[in-house]
Amino acid sequence: MIESILFIVLALLALASAVVAVISKNLVTSIISAGLVSLLASLLYLLMSAPDVAMTEAAIGSSLATIIFFYVLNRIRAKEDSRD
Amino acid sequence: MIRTFGIILTLIGVAFLFFSLFLEYETPLELSGSASYYAASTAEDTGSANLVSAIVVTYRGLDTLGEVTILFLTSSIMSYMLKTKKARNQRTFRESSELLRTASALLVPFIILLGVFIFVHGHLSPGGGFQGGAVLASALVLLLVADPLYTVQSRILSVIESSSGFLYVLLGLSGLLFGAGFLDSRVLPTGRVGELFSAGLIPLIYILIGLKVGTELSNLLSVFHSVQGQDLMEDEGGAR
Amino acid sequence: MGNMLFLASALIALVALGVSAIRFFRGPDTLDRVVAFDVITIISISLIAIIGFIMQRSVLIDVALVYALLSFLGVIIIAKYVERGL
Repeated sequence: MIESILFIVLALLALASAVVAVISKNLVTSIISAGLVSLLASLLYLLMSAPDVAMTEAAIGSSLATIIFFYVLNRIRAKEDSRD
Repeated sequence: MIRTFGIILTLIGVAFLFFSLFLEYETPLELSGSASYYAASTAEDTGSANLVSAIVVTYRGLDTLGEVTILFLTSSIMSYMLKTKKARNQRTFRESSELLRTASALLVPFIILLGVFIFVHGHLSPGGGFQGGAVLASALVLLLVADPLYTVQSRILSVIESSSGFLYVLLGLSGLLFGAGFLDSRVLPTGRVGELFSAGLIPLIYILIGLKVGTELSNLLSVFHSVQGQDLMEDEGGAR
Repeated sequence: MGNMLFLASALIALVALGVSAIRFFRGPDTLDRVVAFDVITIISISLIAIIGFIMQRSVLIDVALVYALLSFLGVIIIAKYVERGL
């Protein structure tokens, strides 16, 4: 019972943050929303008793992918700054 | 506005579709085909307590070798594309705060310990080489963030990376000689399920995969970090 | 009794998750969203531990450990990006 409630609420939250990631005009917001989707997805994997997949999603999707996105974004901003 | 509304309406429709699927879904009481084979005979075949590790390393070992190769290719292509001529000390970085430096000095050993724990215990608890390697790479990110001028010894990284890849293939070939086939893990005794020294070659292979993935991701992230920061030349001539 | 307690705390953690998600979706500023993201991560660490108890699987604590040691890294990177210190 409680697992169904958790499942539905977490899935709806993941859906909503995916929508934010797609329609947001701000790139930083989009990247954080994508990280949030990974976080909630890893919780869903845990509920479906797949801790291995959840750990992968936690270490790579939610942490490393966000870091790489921000490195790239910072590089693009430095280029734009030096051009002005 | 209408476009946004349409997107949201479509998503609600898709969600409703999947929700009806979710309501009708009943957990099957019996496993199908190959899944029941894995569940029944993994512990006996390989001596691994973690079913996923056994499948990843032995039953589907060739795919894992391919994955590691793909990651290696990605890492080396990134190093090639993003190489910089400027040395690190020609760039300026804002100095990190005292809090961050202290926290990183305190936490980096524990993060490395967690990564090593994850891939050494790959056959006992969830996780394995890939997860442990990602955790190791995160430790390097913390070092780089705390001290932007920290130089990664890429020589050591490449030596660890290539030697662990070589040993991985060598262990696979030993399975060809002494076991049932390429990447067979029963070269060493399988031991009792649930002990650290059990499951044949699985812990050894996972340690090698962990080192390999960790060094590859570390290399990738340090390359990304090496192109950050303001160039001194541009900073002096620029508008700011 | 003990089980009821854990069910109730799972529900409370879920409500807290929802409230911080509202701040995440409404937050006018980027920094509001960053803080909301961090709060959601920390709540999910406790939620993972509670799920591990309810499902009677202690191995799930490993995933909570990974989150606990790694989740702040992303937030540090975002903060350094916003402050132009990356």
